[in-house]
Amino acid sequence: MEAVLFFAAAIGALGGAMGVVALRDPFYGVLALVIHLFSLAVLFLLLSAAFLAAAQVVVYAGAVVVLYVFVAAYVGGDRESELEPIRGQRFLAPLLGAALFIELAIAVLGSSLLALGTDGPDVKAGFGDPAEIGYLLLERFLLPFEASSILLLLAAVGAVILAGRRVDLGSGPSGSHSRGVPAGPNPSSAELHDEEAPQPVGGRQPGDTSDEHSAKRSEGVSPA
Amino acid sequence: MIAAFHAPDIYYAGLSPVIALTVAICVVLLTAVFQPLRRTAPALTLIALATTAGLLIWQGGEEIDLVSGALRLDDLAIAISLIAVLSAAFAVLLSIREPAVEQAGSGEYHALLLGSVLGMALLAQAQNLVSLFVAIETLSIPLYILCATDLRRERSLEAGLKYLIIGSLGSATLLYGLAFLYGGSGSTDFAGIAAGIGQKGVTGDPLVLIGIALAAVGLAFKTSIAPFHQWTPDVYQGAPTPITGFMAVATKAAAFAVFVRFFDVALISEASEWQPALAVLAAASIVIGNVGALGQSSLKRLLGYSGIAQAGYILGGLVVASEAGVNALVFYLVAYAFMNFAAFAVVVARERETIYGDDIRAVQGLGAERPLLAWPLTISMLGLAGLPATAGFIGKLYLIEALVEGDYTWLAVFIAVGTMISLAYYLRVVAAMWMRPGGETSAAAPAIVGASPEADPIDPEAGRRMYLVAPALLAAAAVVIFGVIPQPLVEFAEHAGASLF
Repeated sequence: MEAVLFFAAAIGALGGAMGVVALRDPFYGVLALVIHLFSLAVLFLLLSAAFLAAAQVVVYAGAVVVLYVFVAAYVGGDRESELEPIRGQRFLAPLLGAALFIELAIAVLGSSLLALGTDGPDVKAGFGDPAEIGYLLLERFLLPFEASSILLLLAAVGAVILAGRRVDLGSGPSGSHSRGVPAGPNPSSAELHDEEAPQPVGGRQPGDTSDEHSAKRSEGVSPA
Repeated sequence: MIAAFHAPDIYYAGLSPVIALTVAICVVLLTAVFQPLRRTAPALTLIALATTAGLLIWQGGEEIDLVSGALRLDDLAIAISLIAVLSAAFAVLLSIREPAVEQAGSGEYHALLLGSVLGMALLAQAQNLVSLFVAIETLSIPLYILCATDLRRERSLEAGLKYLIIGSLGSATLLYGLAFLYGGSGSTDFAGIAAGIGQKGVTGDPLVLIGIALAAVGLAFKTSIAPFHQWTPDVYQGAPTPITGFMAVATKAAAFAVFVRFFDVALISEASEWQPALAVLAAASIVIGNVGALGQSSLKRLLGYSGIAQAGYILGGLVVASEAGVNALVFYLVAYAFMNFAAFAVVVARERETIYGDDIRAVQGLGAERPLLAWPLTISMLGLAGLPATAGFIGKLYLIEALVEGDYTWLAVFIAVGTMISLAYYLRVVAAMWMRPGGETSAAAPAIVGASPEADPIDPEAGRRMYLVAPALLAAAAVVIFGVIPQPLVEFAEHAGASLF
């Protein structure tokens, strides 16, 4: 039973991964990714990592894939660009990719074939369940755990900064583009005048008064 | 079933520099919220950096594992953290009146800068695969954003995007390698990895080897070692110049710190396997960096290519896997830091002062016009080229000595030849400063390629502003002082080297 499940999931994972690369339509690519991620979750279950499997389904197959679908829907399937910045790229890339694949295959097969006849590692009771992971995060990996919260904070700050730019670029009806206009002596009066809103902050043109500014922001956001 | 929770033992004194930085991030970020405090962000950042530096010096000589082995506080970590803190302080000074700061918001900009420094401090101390990876992301993600903060310039956004994509590729490669190493050794701690590899008794386990290769590639992306360097010139050119200076120095220092700790502690038993590979990368970097720099007319691109070559020299200190190598590496990193500070301070000043941006024409006639800027840039260029009486010369001498001792004489020859090639482009900058007549600096000059309509307003007094001139002069003075009296810096580097072996 385990063997059947393993092979089914392994084939699903490999097929899904290949589909992501091979399928032309980005929507099908995302669907193939879902198959891949679900198969991986099954493999995690077989490794008795129940929590990881659940997280995989919720976070990746759920949240991340939804994000991908949004992007694919907005940006759409652009034609492959004909640009070739490095000469011979189209020929070289598959060659180097194949070389890397062979190297990885040697490394992985070299060790995993040895383990075929064995029963796998001895796993102590409770391995991979939420309680165990909780202990790991708060005892052994406390510092990386805390550091990643700072990392997320910084990433959020960055997202706010860059989102401010996006609205700026959109051709707002007010039509006042900041490009080409030299920065005034004190643009800081127009920046970030709202403490409560984590939503994209409008373009920070030096000339804007606060009122024009927020009006433009609401106009700029609504079409998006 | 539920075992008792054992909170890890936390040695707060050892963790204090990291805690100071974390608190500073939150405080500086809050200044963006309260209107009256807007203008205090740079000052607060400088205070925080000074505090962190003080705490780091206070902890000097300590050798201790922190928070259940996630970090290792030793002199190597302290030395590298000090470089990161110092370069952040330079970046803060250079950022005064930088348009990027006002567009991103002063509080956010400085908080991100501090976040990157936090990542570097963590990375320099990391001795666990998990903390290594989290630290490298904490370092990189703020930098991706800082590169793109000059929101009005297309180039800046392009730089941010390029850095994000290539940096993520590097991180993914690194992570893949770390996974293989965990699989091959059964541990995430550096010491545990060394023990796990040793336990097998065989060197050359394919799983470990591929892990080493992928991890080396990932770290080579971060240190911009050829052939993983393609992003460097574009990102250096596009990013706001103070950030470029910070990136060139601090990122390299932190990434080399973990490179050294990872390879000289965790993977030392496989040294015979990775030494030749890294030596080839170093040689390629020296050649590609120096040859690439020859044709550059943008100073930032030139410094980018020069940084690639310098990364090749520095990697030489790791290749030999000896204490002398690490000493030379740390010495060179410090020298490299000062030489770059001086150069970038001048580039920032001329960028604001002239219409040429970072083009080499911006420094033409600088010798006659602004001797206080011309001298630092001259010293910096001569130092980077490795002329005697500069710290760059002593640094190269130590590197070559370590390489010859470690039986990598051929790589030492590469360094010597690379230095000769590099003279061509470093001296071109010096010649432009002292031997060419000054270019038009007035805004009335006709439209010039490179000076796009998006260019920032010109500040004709930028070349006299103390917050630009003083850092340049100080850094140049350090280059000369450590070139003439290298002893204090040698001791500093030797402490760092001794903590690993």
